[in-house]
Amino acid sequence: MPLDAKIPDGPLAEKWEKHRFELKLVNPANKRKYNIIVVGTGLAGGSAAATLAELGYNVKIFCIQDSPRRAHSIAAQGGINAAKNYQNDGDSIWRLFYDTVKGGDFRSREANVYRLAQVSNNIIDQCVAQGVPFARDYGGLLANRSFGGAQVSRTFYARGQTGQQLLLGAYSALSRQIAAKKVEMFTRRDMLDLVLVDGHAKGIIVRNLVTGDIESHAADAVVLATGGYGNAFNLSTNAMSSNVTAAYSAYKKGAYFANPCFTQIHPTCIPVHGDYQSKLTLMSESLRNDGRVWVPKDPKDKRSPGQIPESERDYYLENKYPSFGNLVPRDVASRNAKDQCDMGKGVGETGLAVYLDFEDAIKRDGKDVIEKKYGNLFQMYEKIIDSNPYETPMMIYPAVHYTMGGLWVDYDLMSNLPGLFVLGEANFSDHGANRLGASALMQGLADGYFVIPYTIGGYLVGEGSDKKISIDHPAFKEASEKVKTGIKKLLSIGGKRTVDDFHRELGGILWEYCGMARNDEGLKKAGTMISELRGEFWENVSVSGSGREFNQSLEKAGRVADFLEFGELMVRDAFSRKESCGGHFNEGHQTEENEAKRDDENFSHVAAWEFTGVDSEPALHKEELVFENVELTQRSYK
Amino acid sequence: MNWLFNTLWSSIGKKLFMALTGLCFCGFLTTHLIGNLTLYAGKDAFNSYAEHLHSLGPIIPIAEMGLLLLFVIHVLTGLTLFYKNFRARPTRYAVNKNAGGRTIASFTMPYTGVILFSFILFHLLQLHFIDKTGTTIYEIVSDTFSQKSNVAIYCIVMIFVGLHVSHGFWSAFQTLGADHVKYTPFIKKLSLLLSIIFGVGFGLIPIYISSIL
Amino acid sequence: MTNSETKKDINLTLKVWRQKGPDVKGKLETYQAKNISTDMSFLEMIDVVNEDLILEGKDPIAFDHDCREGICGMCGCVVDGRAHGPEQGTTLCQLHMRHFSNNDVVVVEPWRSRAFKVIKDLVVDRSPLDKLIQAGGFISANVGGAPDANAIPIPHDTAELSMDAAACIGCGACVASCPNASAMLFVGAKISQLALLPQGKPEAAKRAISMVKTMDELGFGNCTNEAECEADCPKEISITNIARLNREFLKAGLFSTVAK
Repeated sequence: MPLDAKIPDGPLAEKWEKHRFELKLVNPANKRKYNIIVVGTGLAGGSAAATLAELGYNVKIFCIQDSPRRAHSIAAQGGINAAKNYQNDGDSIWRLFYDTVKGGDFRSREANVYRLAQVSNNIIDQCVAQGVPFARDYGGLLANRSFGGAQVSRTFYARGQTGQQLLLGAYSALSRQIAAKKVEMFTRRDMLDLVLVDGHAKGIIVRNLVTGDIESHAADAVVLATGGYGNAFNLSTNAMSSNVTAAYSAYKKGAYFANPCFTQIHPTCIPVHGDYQSKLTLMSESLRNDGRVWVPKDPKDKRSPGQIPESERDYYLENKYPSFGNLVPRDVASRNAKDQCDMGKGVGETGLAVYLDFEDAIKRDGKDVIEKKYGNLFQMYEKIIDSNPYETPMMIYPAVHYTMGGLWVDYDLMSNLPGLFVLGEANFSDHGANRLGASALMQGLADGYFVIPYTIGGYLVGEGSDKKISIDHPAFKEASEKVKTGIKKLLSIGGKRTVDDFHRELGGILWEYCGMARNDEGLKKAGTMISELRGEFWENVSVSGSGREFNQSLEKAGRVADFLEFGELMVRDAFSRKESCGGHFNEGHQTEENEAKRDDENFSHVAAWEFTGVDSEPALHKEELVFENVELTQRSYK
Repeated sequence: MNWLFNTLWSSIGKKLFMALTGLCFCGFLTTHLIGNLTLYAGKDAFNSYAEHLHSLGPIIPIAEMGLLLLFVIHVLTGLTLFYKNFRARPTRYAVNKNAGGRTIASFTMPYTGVILFSFILFHLLQLHFIDKTGTTIYEIVSDTFSQKSNVAIYCIVMIFVGLHVSHGFWSAFQTLGADHVKYTPFIKKLSLLLSIIFGVGFGLIPIYISSIL
Repeated sequence: MTNSETKKDINLTLKVWRQKGPDVKGKLETYQAKNISTDMSFLEMIDVVNEDLILEGKDPIAFDHDCREGICGMCGCVVDGRAHGPEQGTTLCQLHMRHFSNNDVVVVEPWRSRAFKVIKDLVVDRSPLDKLIQAGGFISANVGGAPDANAIPIPHDTAELSMDAAACIGCGACVASCPNASAMLFVGAKISQLALLPQGKPEAAKRAISMVKTMDELGFGNCTNEAECEADCPKEISITNIARLNREFLKAGLFSTVAK
């Protein structure tokens, strides 16, 4: 059955306005009769909950951490894009739209991306009104920088802490609604299941992480804003608690999972340095604006970087891509770093790093200017690596950073399950096969502040009306029993390997076979390995404590159990996409110059997977992507 | 007037009391020190200064009542804050280490405060609330400092005065919100200077008196 | 230069606060952390100790952590009497073991404050910080009504000062390190961020009054201007912000038209 994204008719630029007019409105007095559950308090969830409450809905919001302010959106450094064209450098809504579609390697939905570009400007206005202290020029107007492969300066930033400031903005709006009693906040809750009644999403089951209680919550609609699944790789730049469990439980209840193999590997991360390492640290890719990437020309050259003369350095990005140079998109930069290391030219103790050198920039602009721009990043680097980037080139290596794939949603951001809305990184909709820098913050806030407040009303008074459900409904009891059984099972295994140990092994498999470059043979092998590992997990994992207490070991075990199932889905999706595009690089499909080679004829679609059972093959549904406004081209950054 | 009570009874309001009364004491100590400097000019100068003060009529008793009021406010508010602060951490740390913000002066404020409180009572009983018929204030002072123990007590206490003022003075400005990138460094230096002036200025008097006896 | 020449493994004795729940008595227990690479972060060191505990069938040490890159504010313990450990301007997750020596005895305790109840071991309940923000740490600007972002110019220096205060990660180290367990730096940072911006001025008086009232009710101590908070703050937020809070509050309480 082909998937219908319900994209409104009409010219691209008018679709959203037309659709907003056509959507049914909820009578202001009736809004207070609707209860909405939001899971996740990042940019998408936090902004959605605040805005829905402002409109008058009753909202219950849930997060894993001890405070809604800690969601991982907080870690985004570089900035947020908007088509303001404040710099008069030729930016426009159309250009932001086009760049995003092209950057995503033509695997995103035109209409969604255009809407994103349209509302991008409102986001900046809203954030400034909330007190987000964006960087400003001396005249008091907002400053912009060019970022992540864009040729215009459209990125708004607050030092290297843009995500933090935007999240604190959303958090403050949310806090205001909590104080007004329009939002009820539930912290330290892990969503473990979605509850469906007659096929509609009507509630969730959560575990109270402090008491261990399994709680049921019912509502008229459920909004998931639970982030990405990058931690399937174990080592990623995601926070430790970022996980796929909420989205995966929805998948197991029938929501389609779209393009799980589209993962973004960020080029400028601090290299791995030991087995015990718990996470990787990203450094804003704004560093590539001034830093030059290089490796020694000779793989046998093991001299320290300062001793390698200019003529014996290979500035491979500048050489290969003269017009974009060090600013090529993330996937291209990452893959090239891997290629260099595969050729043995990698540097550092592990040979899995390349240099990012600021020597020329410091010579050109002076240390003060560089310090002003990147001081906090240099400091962070020095803290971790114990080496001074003003004197010695930084070492960087790619790391898993963002996942473009996610639960399938239509134009209204509703999944195939009526009443289940998915926002932010948790959905798949806007970034195609590769996300441009500074676009994740934009998408999260666009979804939460400007899309869901309109589209959810259409569902509530449309197909979702007259379906009031309370937690007394048998569906809640059934779901919570299932959750309790699952927990009991995990606690009863009493094996000999820790959860972290399994996670490390799963991460190793995915990184090796489903990372920056994939091939059919490796993916096949990975599928088998993950399946075996999953088998061993359920026989040999050791989880301490009980379910009726604060038990971090148990929390992790549940998440890794889901990652193990999800890993297989990821590998299966990668295997079935016989082309290369964006973050999905299949070695069997590349141009003569080793660039990703798309197959638009056969794979210009969204691959949405339907769960059919843990041990049976998921069913594939395709949403054909129609490009009426942009011409599909081979991406070239030469 | 609920707003006034709520503002002044808040944690910041209580500190406002501490700051304002503390600054008044700094003012009082300054005039007290200037007056006491007449001791260096000899017996007659000091006695005539005292007489001049008493000839001012009701101003002195009024000022004394005012000082008493400030004193009561400063002490009671200080004790209240100390108690509340103590209660704010029911379980103490097993290991305490200075992070770099605390100074001996800031750390000992409540304790130097209690010492000063006791000293002021002692000082008043010794030099103020006594039978002054048939004697002069200079004689009372020189009698007092003829005892070495008194000289020692006064000198030691003046070190505590210096400590208390060195944190208290700039702290009062911080509490009042009088903070400015251009002036705060000056206030901090002034705080130190004032504490030295009070400590040394008052501290030398007993030594001087006992030395000329 | 890198530290590869000096890299080594170290052994530590940990004395960690263990407490089963909020109403149970806790105590310091001793653990050995063996073969700890000096490249590890402090939290990775606890991970290693915990893996051993799990394999021995013992209860691992509960501690809060999330982003592990110093921005989420989730982690934090008092290490040898210092909130977030001995390094200036560093969260616990960014504290590396190269700052410790072989055979060190390290005492790890939870944040201590009447306002923060211990949930388990090193995990405390910091929801009072959220309550403070709910009391007024926001600008009431509904989505939809915002004017163009460049409509009101904000001087560069003002925006920077506001950002200095906004850098607060809400970890609670200021409360933990304050000799009086006061939350003045946390409140001061939020009040400052918003009071400095033209967008925050309309509500400045109401915000200051309400946040200070809530702060007092939650059982935090009072500021005695000792600046321990500033010294332990992982984002090095200045007590200048406390002075601004005092100013904003007194101005609001005594001279504004907001009556409360």
